[in-house]
Amino acid sequence: MLLLDYQNVLIESLLKDRLAGAAPTSIDQVVSDFDGVTFHISTPESKSKIQISIALRCFNELVKYGAQQVLEREYGPFIVPPEQGYDFSVSVDLDSLPPDQDARDDLVRRISLLKRNVMAAPFEQAFDEFKALQEEASKYTSESAPQGVMEGGEVRAIHYREEEAIYIKASHDRVTVIFSTRFSDETDRVFGKVFLQEFVDARRRAIQNAPQVLFRSDAPLELQNVPGVVSSGSGEIGYITFVLFPRHLTPQRREEVISHIQTFRDYFHYHIKASKAYIHSRMRKRTADFLQVLRRARPDSEEKERKTASGRTFRVQG
Amino acid sequence: MAPQTPAVVMDNGTGYTKLGFAGNDSPSFVFPTAIATKSQGGGGGGSGSGRPAVANKPSFLTGGAGPGSHLSGKRGTEDLDFFIGDEALAASAGPGYGLHYPIRHGQIENWDDMERFWSNSIFKYLRVEPEDHYFLLTEPASQYHLNYSAPLNPPENRENTAEIFFESFNCAGLYIAVQAVLALAASWTSSKVQDRSLTGTVIDSGEGVTHVIPVAEGYVIGSSIKSIPIAGRDITYFVQSLLRDRGEPDSSLKTAERIKEEYCYVCPDVVKEFSRFDMEPAERFKQHTVTYPNGKSVTVDVGYERFLAPEIFFNPEIYSSDFLTPLPNIVDMTIQQSPIDVRRGLYKNIVLSGGSTLYRQFGRRLQRDIKHLVDERIAASERRSGGAKSGGLEVQVIEHKRQRHGPWFGGSLLGQTPEFRSYCHTKAEYDEYGPSIVRRFALLGGPGST
Repeated sequence: MLLLDYQNVLIESLLKDRLAGAAPTSIDQVVSDFDGVTFHISTPESKSKIQISIALRCFNELVKYGAQQVLEREYGPFIVPPEQGYDFSVSVDLDSLPPDQDARDDLVRRISLLKRNVMAAPFEQAFDEFKALQEEASKYTSESAPQGVMEGGEVRAIHYREEEAIYIKASHDRVTVIFSTRFSDETDRVFGKVFLQEFVDARRRAIQNAPQVLFRSDAPLELQNVPGVVSSGSGEIGYITFVLFPRHLTPQRREEVISHIQTFRDYFHYHIKASKAYIHSRMRKRTADFLQVLRRARPDSEEKERKTASGRTFRVQG
Repeated sequence: MAPQTPAVVMDNGTGYTKLGFAGNDSPSFVFPTAIATKSQGGGGGGSGSGRPAVANKPSFLTGGAGPGSHLSGKRGTEDLDFFIGDEALAASAGPGYGLHYPIRHGQIENWDDMERFWSNSIFKYLRVEPEDHYFLLTEPASQYHLNYSAPLNPPENRENTAEIFFESFNCAGLYIAVQAVLALAASWTSSKVQDRSLTGTVIDSGEGVTHVIPVAEGYVIGSSIKSIPIAGRDITYFVQSLLRDRGEPDSSLKTAERIKEEYCYVCPDVVKEFSRFDMEPAERFKQHTVTYPNGKSVTVDVGYERFLAPEIFFNPEIYSSDFLTPLPNIVDMTIQQSPIDVRRGLYKNIVLSGGSTLYRQFGRRLQRDIKHLVDERIAASERRSGGAKSGGLEVQVIEHKRQRHGPWFGGSLLGQTPEFRSYCHTKAEYDEYGPSIVRRFALLGGPGST
């Protein structure tokens, strides 16, 4: 597995089962997803009505950036008032499902992408803003452009984790996405540096189309006036900047780009952990090899001539 | 931390892995503990697979891993090319992948595979950042008591597990619980259980082996654990052999397994059950329809195996010729070997756990047979004592709804308690003391905690 899935596997498999006609039973499960997202899957009214609620820490910020519209677009008829303690709920009635299989699969897919869609709102907004700015900017030359057009819009901050945030800023020729990350573990920091260097170098080598990636330990200039940005420079907090160019922002690519960039943090951490696992497996292998060398180096016990009771001698073969 | 993240409960068994979050009543995922990797790598860990792993030169002179090492070819992302669980079974059916089971007899054998198995469980299935969550893992049974037949986990295994969880995954906190103790905790949901004690006898019957494990105050009495080589798989084989003998149109293992799961039950008396079957064949004999992927289907008759199959627990001689002690006798022997002051508690709280204890009437029959043995012994000693009267001994077998995933459910129950986190070892403690810290855990759910 190179890339992480975008959808929640549990929701997907559960709904798929139910929609395929598995016996209706009551469900009551609280499950987690990345970044402290909590889902509550339950059947509050009847066994055929599955309600899925999501709670995430940055929901208010996301609403500010248009999450409600995105959710209404995606889940329109399924939205129900949010459950107590959760931010957003959808409910699927198994008795009134779309008849054909494709529509059902699409429904399952959409609901399992709940977290992705909630988080997508600020990206979509920024991409739209980019488009507007691009049109605006095409009217001017770089000198005559009025203030604001060249500099781009406001910075959208999503504090999706305790000490980490995503900042999105649209300009007339690009969209900049900045992740602030925090490594509590020193080993992880080292691994992280290696990985990030690879990201930075990727463009230089084969993949010309890749977005430009920068990383630094103090806050980049884009975030200068954003409240809450810590510019410690201590190395614990790092800033990773993705610069998305117009070619990444075409309508065809858009969805994919949003999905990818959202999972970046988890992807990054997953791979740090996977490489540690890989190194561990090499270490185990090496230890086993050394042990074998040691075992072989042990001198054989001297073979003495043995005698039978009658005085004949024989040699042990081999 | 805003809302507390639920603890992750993982129960990695020989056959199946149960994954989920504490507080839920069933695991989110249950899939085989299997991993499919690119076939040529036989697995590291120095299993001595016959392949010359060491060249003439020590491998550090040859640059990377030594020649012939399965790692030498791995320069890209091959180490991520694997599947776990059901996907592994599917992948191994095709070309290029070999299937491995990293856990054997309840113990982790291949740490490389297990580490990747965990990594995938966490990131692909549970989708959690291990740094944010506490983990509750399970292990077979107590340590320190060395008894070859018992399901034991050496403390080194715990340490290895801790190394992986703290160093690879940086998990926030870790608790490793003994499966038998968790199975006892799971039985607290039964209405028969009045006091939430951690004293009892756990009968854990899964796919491979059946263990009878006495637990006193949360500690496993390792010296009296007994194992029986009869479990789920044997019942399946037995059903299969009966089907074959009758010449049924389909006698595959899969069919036998389905029949076992759907139709089998435990009867109070074999002879009477036979005659009952002969009296009312219409009700007792069943038919099982097997549908093949190509659309065809055949019908298999289901007869005496309905009650004969689980009967091998109580009369093993009908199945095996080398193991002849019935399960009730084993339970009785186990308890008799335990310290005398806990025996009453052990008889009173016999808890079932695992998929092979789910047959209807299993608990009742077991209780009756054990009670019979106990009463006989009491009667004999009363006779010998000449007139003394015994107060009797209560034997109670507890069946409950969460039996199938007993250890997991127990873990879920204990993992959601507010004090769970204080029982865990945290990453900071691990960094301070090293892996040996996990050799000891405070007893979760013990006296005074819940």
